[in-house]
Amino acid sequence: MNDDNKINNNKSTKETIIETEVAMGVVHPAALEPYRVRLFVEDEIVKDAEITIGVNHRGIERIMEGLPVEKANSLTEKVCGICSNSHIWNSVMVAEKGLGIEVPDRAQYIRVIMGELERLHSHFLYLAHGNEVLGHETFSMRLFYIRETVMELLRMIGGNRVQYGAPIIGGVRPRCELNSKRIQKIKEGMDFVEEKAINFADRFVSDPMIMSRITGVGVISRKDALRLAASGPTLRATGVARDLRTDMECYDPFDFDVITQDDGDVKSNLLVRVLEIFESVKIIRQALKDLPEGRITNRSWEMADTPIIKSYIEVPRGTLYHSYRIEEGRTRNVIIRTPSMSNIGAMEHACIGNHITDAQLAIVQCDPCFTCTDRAIKIIEL
Amino acid sequence: MSLKSYSRARAVHVMLVYTGGCNGCDIEIVNCILSPKFDAEQYKVFLTWNPREADVLVVTGPVTKHNEKPLKEIYKAIPEPKAVVAAGACALMGGVYKNIHGEIPSEEIAGPVEEVIPVAAKVPGCAVRPEDVLSGVVAALPLLLNAK
Ligand code: SF4
Repeated sequence: MNDDNKINNNKSTKETIIETEVAMGVVHPAALEPYRVRLFVEDEIVKDAEITIGVNHRGIERIMEGLPVEKANSLTEKVCGICSNSHIWNSVMVAEKGLGIEVPDRAQYIRVIMGELERLHSHFLYLAHGNEVLGHETFSMRLFYIRETVMELLRMIGGNRVQYGAPIIGGVRPRCELNSKRIQKIKEGMDFVEEKAINFADRFVSDPMIMSRITGVGVISRKDALRLAASGPTLRATGVARDLRTDMECYDPFDFDVITQDDGDVKSNLLVRVLEIFESVKIIRQALKDLPEGRITNRSWEMADTPIIKSYIEVPRGTLYHSYRIEEGRTRNVIIRTPSMSNIGAMEHACIGNHITDAQLAIVQCDPCFTCTDRAIKIIEL
Repeated sequence: MSLKSYSRARAVHVMLVYTGGCNGCDIEIVNCILSPKFDAEQYKVFLTWNPREADVLVVTGPVTKHNEKPLKEIYKAIPEPKAVVAAGACALMGGVYKNIHGEIPSEEIAGPVEEVIPVAAKVPGCAVRPEDVLSGVVAALPLLLNAK
């Protein structure tokens, strides 16, 4: 008892008593994934929020410990079912960096195409889920309908609707080679997606009901977003133009804009994703237009021991980090940090000050993906 | 035909529980019931999040130790007769998370689902295809309809 009090006193200097606590989870209807939220409520206004994760921990990093590098890479795909390609991409990049492997241009282009298709499907899923939480099922259905085109393209290239990861060390899987028929299909798909997405966006922003529901809800200020280390579209929705794609080598040949919005509320978050869809379509079109000729895998490399190599890339939800070292062809000291991990602080913060019915919306606006987020962490104050 | 099975033949409610998979299967299942392409709602299959309303429980994921108890609770809350569909390689045999250890038992995983609650139908795949989920749910239906 005494110890408990001490800990509490250390945490908050001023003791506040909040009457009501609304706890949801681990399995809750509104939250698709297993996680736990505690909302501290006063007069139906959320005063404090706490998100606990951990029920999903499967210990992927530990399973990867000591596996052959190729096998470990394909295992990272199973970290997340939404951005599976990004995980394997980053994991492969760690090995390539460490072993100094050169990736053929054509493979880089195909990787970018896969990455952008993944961004499309992830953003459509986000928008569909967001609209469902908003209570607008028609929009949600429409978005699922558009998303289906992207899923079919992913299946065509990767061979599976989920877990379609293309990269392998030194290039992409032979199956993911783009022939003229596939290129034509992707082009048609992009035309369809763009047309439908424009229709959706027009309809969405001109709907007064939706706009009044989402404007000014779940605001995260720019300062708070930076303090809480938010990343990806959540950060860009607060006006910070930070996108790691601008630093990534494989995105150098492409011309695209970093989308930002100013307000940091649900509206800005939704609009950032809507606008990013068009940027992704733009990148895919450019990549298809000047797809270089040549081989897609570089097989002339040798395994060697490396020190710990770190790699950061931009994935649909933000910044993804992978690191490991290679010892006798096996991975050691694997660390993965997913973008939702760094967005949890922003999610909690976004709930505060809102009506309790908007709390779920405020969490969903940050695009949570908790199944991939459950890993052991330690936060160090700097 | 009892009143219950009469009404059930006209509306089957499916509840989905995530128990630690990678999200791939889960989204495919939501997709298969909600999205206009597969649209299971036209066959009177509805997605519900309330165990007391549900007839069929679809479980995905390898059942982590933390999720074991909630899963049992949910199973208990569903009224009889009920059927469980295990969807995805994880739910069937623990997927990559359980088996890659070889002989060494995994410390995180309590599953597969079969070892926690009785399973009526199994849908393979990583991730499951929406068509397969539908056929899995349909295969479990006779269990419900023929029950007294
Ligand atoms: S079976 Fe595959 S897709 Fe489904 S939850 Fe498991 S790892 Fe993910």
